[in-house]
Amino acid sequence: MDKLKDPIICVPGQRLCVSDKINVPGPGTYEQHGYIYSKLAGVVKLAKNENVCTIEVHSMTEQSIVPAPGDIVTAMVTIVNQRFCKCVIKCIGDIVLTRPYRGVLRKEDVRATEKDRVEMYKSFRPGDIILARVMPMIDVHTYQLSTAENELGVVIAYSEGGASMIPISWTQMQCPKTLAVEFRKVAKVIPEQIALE
Amino acid sequence: MLEGDQDQEEDQGGLRNDGRRAAELRKIRVRMGVFGQADGSAYLEQGNTKILVAVYGPHQPRGSAARAGGKNVGGIINCQYSTAVFSFSAGERKRRPRGDRKSIEKSLQLRRAMESIIQLDLYPRSQIDVFVEVLQIDGSEYCVAVNAATLALIDAGIPIKDYAIGCTASLIDSTSKNDEDSSHAAGVVDATYMEECSPGATLSIIALPGSSNDATKGLVVVAQGAGQRLHLSRLEALRNRALCGCRDIRNILDRAVRQHLTVHSQPSFSTLHVID
Repeated sequence: MDKLKDPIICVPGQRLCVSDKINVPGPGTYEQHGYIYSKLAGVVKLAKNENVCTIEVHSMTEQSIVPAPGDIVTAMVTIVNQRFCKCVIKCIGDIVLTRPYRGVLRKEDVRATEKDRVEMYKSFRPGDIILARVMPMIDVHTYQLSTAENELGVVIAYSEGGASMIPISWTQMQCPKTLAVEFRKVAKVIPEQIALE
Repeated sequence: MLEGDQDQEEDQGGLRNDGRRAAELRKIRVRMGVFGQADGSAYLEQGNTKILVAVYGPHQPRGSAARAGGKNVGGIINCQYSTAVFSFSAGERKRRPRGDRKSIEKSLQLRRAMESIIQLDLYPRSQIDVFVEVLQIDGSEYCVAVNAATLALIDAGIPIKDYAIGCTASLIDSTSKNDEDSSHAAGVVDATYMEECSPGATLSIIALPGSSNDATKGLVVVAQGAGQRLHLSRLEALRNRALCGCRDIRNILDRAVRQHLTVHSQPSFSTLHVID
């Protein structure tokens, strides 16, 4: 604690300092009996803000991440039926998951408007890559997803010819080879080709 | 007969069969991060007892543990305690490595020990898997499994309150009339398989030494015995002996974790200094 420049290694359960108005426990620590203890094996860092010094412990090994409600996830559609479609969550934000998680996107969560007119087969197909937001979990085994925003929906889709389709509106995509138009719930994102230019 | 016993005791000079004194532990070897595909893993040797632990998670709940804890708001810990068929000595082979009554009982005890150190409210509706494989048994295998599981959780980066340290204390021979004069009267720590099978009681204690000011708060006592009864007046001395062993084991594991952090640190921490 005295050496501010040198990193301090600590282990779980190690007492760091007294907990008072100046020293406040931060992430990776906990308070017990008036002292601040470490919860992780890592490096102690001090975040000074005016008169308050926040004690933080940052781990060297990255921990496995679980989606929280409100996160934007990247998922791949696996099964589509009339009431919902099943997805496999691949990324959370910019972080690629080490293992896939299961998600369910219900018919009522596809759009924000005209919910009763949604047809699942005209919104998603198996193999599509979608952006979705995690909703509060109802079922224990799966994460509830929602694409009821303009920026959420299908971002990558492949046509029957195997080519990556180009969005032409928020409900349609077109194959550049065969010029066939297919229906999707398209996400309002800048395509990579335009972004690269 | 009394003279013979006394001569035998004096000949050993207070030493045990393997040459240790009453309060000495066996040699402990630690390796962390032995599995690349697991989130955390640890290998622990304590004498001839060898334990391998892998930790996966936190991840999405699946399997029977998820269904059982369906109404829980916090996280779920799934422990599997497995004994290899070749782990016993003297040629004995275990027919069923997991799923029998002893393994299920030890899995349940291990899950309770892990639940007491992991803050499960940080992981709502998540599951942490702890897989324990006993490679070789020479006594105190449950306590070594708890120590190895703690190291695997640290390797996985899961926040824990403190180490969960397990240690055994055993009365080798409770029928001796000269027990009060012997150095083994208060029990011996880190019992081997031979000492566990001797006529006497064996006490396995899982402790959180960091909260030792509340002596009974973080204490999980698992009493084992070879059928012998233990007088209540000797329980306190036996417990204190086991807690001293827990403190020594904690110091050894603490040193091993710091060394592991120093060696396997990220490139941005190349100027790390170990503070003793």
